[in-house]
Amino acid sequence: MSKILTICLCACLMVLVGCGGKKVTRIDENSVTDLSGAWNDTDSRLVADEMITDCLNRPWYQNMIQQKNGIVPTVVIGKIRNKSHEHINVETFVKDMERALINSGKADFVANAEERAELRNELASQAGNATEETRKDAGQEIGADLMLTGTLNSIIDQEGGEQVIYYQVDLELTDIQSHKKVWVGDKKIKKFVSKDSVKM
Amino acid sequence: MKKFLLLLAAILLTSCANKSMTRYETLSPTLEKKGFEATIAEVKKQKDDLYGSNSEFLYYYDLGVLHHYNRNFDESIKNLAQAEKVYEDLYTKSVTNEAAAVLTNDNTRPYRARPFELLTLYQFQILNYLAKMDIDGALVEVKRSQIAMNALYQKDKDKVNDNGFLRYLQALVYELDGDEDEAAIAYIKAIKAYDEGKMGLPKEVFEFATESLRRMEREDDIRALKKPELASTPKATAVHDMGQEIIVIGYAGHSPILGEMYLSGTFVSAGAMNLYYKDGETGNRVSFTLVAPPVPGAGSGTFHIGFALPEVRKHHSRVDHFEVSLDNKPRVRPEKVMAVDQELRQNMDDERNTVITRTAVRVILRTIAAQKAKSATNTGNGILDLLKNIFIDVGQSQLEQADLRVGLFLPGSFNMTRLPVEPGSHSVSVAAMGGSGGTVGVYSFDKIAVRKGQKVILIVPAIK
Repeated sequence: MSKILTICLCACLMVLVGCGGKKVTRIDENSVTDLSGAWNDTDSRLVADEMITDCLNRPWYQNMIQQKNGIVPTVVIGKIRNKSHEHINVETFVKDMERALINSGKADFVANAEERAELRNELASQAGNATEETRKDAGQEIGADLMLTGTLNSIIDQEGGEQVIYYQVDLELTDIQSHKKVWVGDKKIKKFVSKDSVKM
Repeated sequence: MKKFLLLLAAILLTSCANKSMTRYETLSPTLEKKGFEATIAEVKKQKDDLYGSNSEFLYYYDLGVLHHYNRNFDESIKNLAQAEKVYEDLYTKSVTNEAAAVLTNDNTRPYRARPFELLTLYQFQILNYLAKMDIDGALVEVKRSQIAMNALYQKDKDKVNDNGFLRYLQALVYELDGDEDEAAIAYIKAIKAYDEGKMGLPKEVFEFATESLRRMEREDDIRALKKPELASTPKATAVHDMGQEIIVIGYAGHSPILGEMYLSGTFVSAGAMNLYYKDGETGNRVSFTLVAPPVPGAGSGTFHIGFALPEVRKHHSRVDHFEVSLDNKPRVRPEKVMAVDQELRQNMDDERNTVITRTAVRVILRTIAAQKAKSATNTGNGILDLLKNIFIDVGQSQLEQADLRVGLFLPGSFNMTRLPVEPGSHSVSVAAMGGSGGTVGVYSFDKIAVRKGQKVILIVPAIK
């Protein structure tokens, strides 16, 4: 009887030691980590990289470079709408696209409407407060040639503990002068998520 | 002696008061006397004592609802999202918990939310995002609610898992997003859901649905609903033509709670169980018979059983409905778009037989185990054995507690009206009215700025 008690006590201690406590491990920022099946940083980064690469390697790009005598086009990022079933931080996705655009060296890009409003406020403030030598002039902004807009959609198919999540990101690049769509691209991601119906 | 002490300890451990009743008795006076802020603080302070790990869903749900009333929409969103996560994680059932529930009572299982609670979670989330003027956020919640409803129907297609008010809100969000096709479909589904429920279809919902379907040239769909057709839709047409509106959502009164109802009767394994109880509202004795499943070790004898089950108990509410005045114009009465007491009663009806059967089987199993324990622990000392047997019986009966868990801060009813307005500044006065017509309180909203095309949501939480 006392042996059984000792074994039980040891088992309880082991369980108690094994439970609780937080463990933090640093991982590579580019590593693929899927925990819940929801849209994550990997999806955002991969989609942004792939779509911007695709966008800048299409025929419209060379045509525009020729039209502009070798000067790279200037792009502004417009509204990217989240129409999926998840609360996705669209701002992170936009930042990933901005990074991909700048790092490509194939396009310049200018601040979006919200950032421009803030910059104009700063400019107005400088006009009355900054010294003449350091003051920046109004009316010197670079007008964008193209605007990138898009939507993030999702479709869910589920049965019991199994779920297929299908994300589709649609992006469009539109010539601001002519309103002509110069490029339309999409990227699809499909995930299978399963949950156990029982556990111990 | 050691066995005797163990039994005593078990009895002491299990004879605690029902946590759901303690929760209600502690928090209800705080809400009544001190308001939302103080109740939020109390819920957080007494998390472990009043909720515990098995009612984690309710903890976040109650907090989310209270923050919503308190117009702290970001906190409400955060807490309701956490409640939703707890619900999703509970898809995986724990064998240990289920086994513990077989031995003790349903309160030892994690609370998995009643379908209508889950659907109201999405209603509050949609309203939170609409109040924040975040259409994309509201649209995400619309989609999440549709996924949740599909999952509920997949789980049990025979139960009522739809909600007219939720469908109506979905239509509203689609309209705001400019997606008229989806809005029309949501309106059709709202009407079907109201028909499926017991409350009846609110006139305003039907007017807005008719206007939407006519505009989308879906007259066939209107006819298919088999409702008396409307000659005109003045309010809905005005909202569409003008483009802006003020939407008043009033929460009237307090939802019912759950109390214990005692059932007794006989049980024959793999035969029938005859049970009776006293109806709390009418005082009549009600008896009924259910098929009894086979219980291992029960043999063919007749067992006399008695156990408690949850029953709906009305919470005395002072507020019954609202009267709304826009810019000092004559008052209009918002319609009831959801009645929580009916939702709870429907849920009780849906689950009644399952809960009775599960509880009866558990009581039988425990009775058999208690009988075996009595004979196995006999000491030969008459007085000691008598005392021990009394303790076993008392302990056995103390183990059985009805699961009275339910969201504690839901309103008695959701009321809604849509007021078409010109762009500019408006004032709205909302009177919370009692059942006999007296004014319980007045909520004033002055200088409401309405931009072109905007839909402004006003929330009136009269949880009194």
